[in-house]
Amino acid sequence: MNAPARAVVSPLASAATARAALERVAANLALAVQGKEKELRLAVTCVAAGGHLLLEDVPGVGKTTLVEALARSFGLSLSRVQFTADLMPTDILGAQVFHSATGTFSFRPGPIFRQLVLADELNRAPPRTQSALLEAMAQGQVSLDGTTHPLPRPFTVVATQNPVDFSGTYPLPDSQLDRFLMRLSLGHPAPEVEARLLTQQRDTTSAVEVLEAVSTPEELAGLRAQVAAQRLDTAVAEYVVHLAQATRAHGDIERGASTRAVLALGMAARAHALWDARDFVTPGDVRAVLGPCLAHRLLLRSATQGAYTRDEALHLVEEVARKVPAPR
Amino acid sequence: MTRPLRLRLLLRDLSIAAAFASMAVSGQVPLWAFGLVLVAVLMGVLGRRPFARYPRLTAALLVPLAGVLYLAVASGQMDLVVAACSFAGLVAAQRVLSESSPATDGQVLLAGLLMIAGGAALSGELLFAVCLLTFAVLASLSLGLAVVEAAVPVGEPVPVRAVMRPLGRGTFVAMLGAMAFFILIPRLNWNVGVRRASPGLGTATSGFSDTVRLGGSGTLKSNPRVVLRARLSPDPGTEQLSSYWVGRTYDTFDGLEWSTIGASTKRHRTRVTLRPGADNQVYQRIELLPAYGSRTLIALETPAKLGNALTHTALGDRRTQLQELGGDELRFVEEGLGYSYEVYSVPPGTDTDPGRMNQQETDQLLALPDNLDPRMEELARRVVGDEKDPLAAAQKLSAWLQREYEYTLELSGDVADPLRDFLFVRKAGHCEHFATALTLMLRTQGFEARLATGFFGGERVGDEYLVRAGDAHAWTHVLVPGRGFVTVDATPPAFRANQSLQLIETMISLYESVEALWRKAVVDYSFRDQLDFVRSMSRPPRDASGQPRPSSSLPPLRAWVTAAGVALAIYGLVRALSQRRARRPAQEATRLVDAVERLLARAGLPPREGETLEDVSARLSGEAHPLAPVLAAITRRYLEARFGQRPLQSGESARLLAQLRRALDDGRPTARAS
Repeated sequence: MNAPARAVVSPLASAATARAALERVAANLALAVQGKEKELRLAVTCVAAGGHLLLEDVPGVGKTTLVEALARSFGLSLSRVQFTADLMPTDILGAQVFHSATGTFSFRPGPIFRQLVLADELNRAPPRTQSALLEAMAQGQVSLDGTTHPLPRPFTVVATQNPVDFSGTYPLPDSQLDRFLMRLSLGHPAPEVEARLLTQQRDTTSAVEVLEAVSTPEELAGLRAQVAAQRLDTAVAEYVVHLAQATRAHGDIERGASTRAVLALGMAARAHALWDARDFVTPGDVRAVLGPCLAHRLLLRSATQGAYTRDEALHLVEEVARKVPAPR
Repeated sequence: MTRPLRLRLLLRDLSIAAAFASMAVSGQVPLWAFGLVLVAVLMGVLGRRPFARYPRLTAALLVPLAGVLYLAVASGQMDLVVAACSFAGLVAAQRVLSESSPATDGQVLLAGLLMIAGGAALSGELLFAVCLLTFAVLASLSLGLAVVEAAVPVGEPVPVRAVMRPLGRGTFVAMLGAMAFFILIPRLNWNVGVRRASPGLGTATSGFSDTVRLGGSGTLKSNPRVVLRARLSPDPGTEQLSSYWVGRTYDTFDGLEWSTIGASTKRHRTRVTLRPGADNQVYQRIELLPAYGSRTLIALETPAKLGNALTHTALGDRRTQLQELGGDELRFVEEGLGYSYEVYSVPPGTDTDPGRMNQQETDQLLALPDNLDPRMEELARRVVGDEKDPLAAAQKLSAWLQREYEYTLELSGDVADPLRDFLFVRKAGHCEHFATALTLMLRTQGFEARLATGFFGGERVGDEYLVRAGDAHAWTHVLVPGRGFVTVDATPPAFRANQSLQLIETMISLYESVEALWRKAVVDYSFRDQLDFVRSMSRPPRDASGQPRPSSSLPPLRAWVTAAGVALAIYGLVRALSQRRARRPAQEATRLVDAVERLLARAGLPPREGETLEDVSARLSGEAHPLAPVLAAITRRYLEARFGQRPLQSGESARLLAQLRRALDDGRPTARAS
């Protein structure tokens, strides 16, 4: 199987080349998923920031297409795991297999040993299976029977869940939600986009199948190195912290942003700055990624069992962003 | 909207109370306005804001109030300045009772500033200074809290303690700094050309007066204002002096009023010797306080030498001249806030020389008014009997008066002949009645006598004696051959000194001592005092005998301490400045944003609520606005300078602003985004 790709840091000449790479990928994605430029840019930002992505939407709006397109654009190896109620952790991680011929055990890697893992309908699997992903997402490795197996680099998990049909599902635990850098929702395309999709339809081959790689895993690793090197001014860092504190003190929010959320927000904002070919973060970058980074991590007071509070959370985050003055 | 900080509103309301008090201490604010503001501030302090619901309606209430004030001014009942000040107080009161918002806070504090300015116009002494300081401290604390409250994100608790501690410390340091500035920086006296009303509580309404009119207003024995402070040598050592402080004497009574016919030389001299001194003289260093309200010098009986007179004016102390008037009166020539001088007195009755007396004066000591009641002579003869010694006769009469007559301050209105009224109708009166009766009754029996006025008593406070307005007194001088004028007092002893309440006396003493300190240390603090202060810092200390200590030629400890303090202050200043310089790039960028936003607002493109320059630039780019390229370039540069550690070069921000200005003028872009 795939040996883990060596994290080759090809230092990008500057933020300008990083921006060019991001634009290239986003343009490529737009060939497969039309009319969603903003969401595509955020998805690319998330991947470039080295974060895992949670896609939450009704079926049939292009979640899977987006993930496939991402993998193709960056030239990443992809595996797709359909999460079901009977899915076992070993079905994802892999297992020790006994070879009767030699009388020895050998490790057979599961589908998680890919650079991009699509965990489809993550909330359909029981918590035990969901949590099998935790170590992989947090540390980029899998531990089985006392042996640690490193995952291929770059490694990204994209999970999807259906926000409408919650029957028979296991809501993602907070610790799991907190590990996704962003939560995005594609939504239905605009009517004119849907009409264009209809008229362009020629055969059963979907657009994503003919998508070509416009970047490489090495370039993605370079992008991530560039993101990590972005400058975050003290004033902006304080702004991030103030935003997080404001969610903690908000009357309608039971539990506000965690420290991990603060770090995630900083990382996403660093990546977002690349779109402007900047090597430093501005308050505008922070606000651009605030909703996707924070909304899914908040526990609202109004939240009852299984109720859907996504819009409300986004609304509260926007309110906080309005109230906390940006540094100037 | 979270609830505003209770503490901040309390500080704000109390600061308004102080500002209003700064005007109210002048006593010129009408009572009804005073009451309205008082009620408003009390309600504000208790957190009641009943006007919050009807801001418009209650603001309309100010219109009739303004009308009332206008009528008062138009009819000449009220000064325009007083009316304006009162209206500022009423506006502040209305705002205090309304809902708290940044706009309201600003209006309240603005009204406070106006009232402070009004207070400065109406009065200007210690109480005003106290109010001003209180307002400054409370308003700064309230403002500081308001700034922090606005900066804290919605829903988060305001860190009151964390704010108040440095804020309070900062205010304290600022006050100390102001005092240091006041003491050390050479100063011009801004009082030049400004004439203020009487200082502090004003002159006492009664006390020593230039004329004695029987049955007139009389003396208010309950007035506790201190009019005179004296240091005596040798020190009598008693808590309560039983001495007569004489101001002037009268020899002529017309049946209603005492006056002086005696010689009035009107000579001006700086040092006056009234009569030869004696060995047992009592030295007095006397200060006449502003409450005294007259220019006549006062001294213990019997004054022998007076001199070294100083007038205390708003411009400082000045050597001045004295004027000799009839009735042995000495008067300051110049008007002043207060006076000080030195006197030597000899014990009364030890003086053998009655002073300059001509025949006319001697005759006057026996003169009687034309309309004198004939029963009086009869009465006097019955009491005196065949006593030939003037002093013995006087003492007999005095004892009889004290026995038969009652002391009272409750006098009915004007009567045609107050002396007859006292002697035969009411048989009650105050010191002027007793003294007048004794003097005239002596004269009917051929004894030469005159009326003396001044003060009686003196209360020891520290190493000084204080005399109050209520101590004002009148008594009789009998001319005793071979001894001169001897004092005889017909007033019952218990009623000679003032009869004010002990508590009020203590409070007034305290206030007046603080006021004196304020006048000496602040109002009259001059360039010369500054020089003296600096000299005292650098001179070697003296021992008790006044000789410099020979042991060391080094400056004294206090000079070192001061030098260390100054060095510390300079070090702190340099450090603060260097830190300021380190923060300059960010501040410069922030100033650029402010300027850009001002320009945009002027061009009709103000940032929307919560929008940063970044947002505005993005919005204009999205709208393909002609300004967008220029603004994008400027924004880019600002962001780099503020968050990207690429500070603006010198002159760069001016250049960027000029570009923007040009673009705004042309209505088309002049620079491309780089």
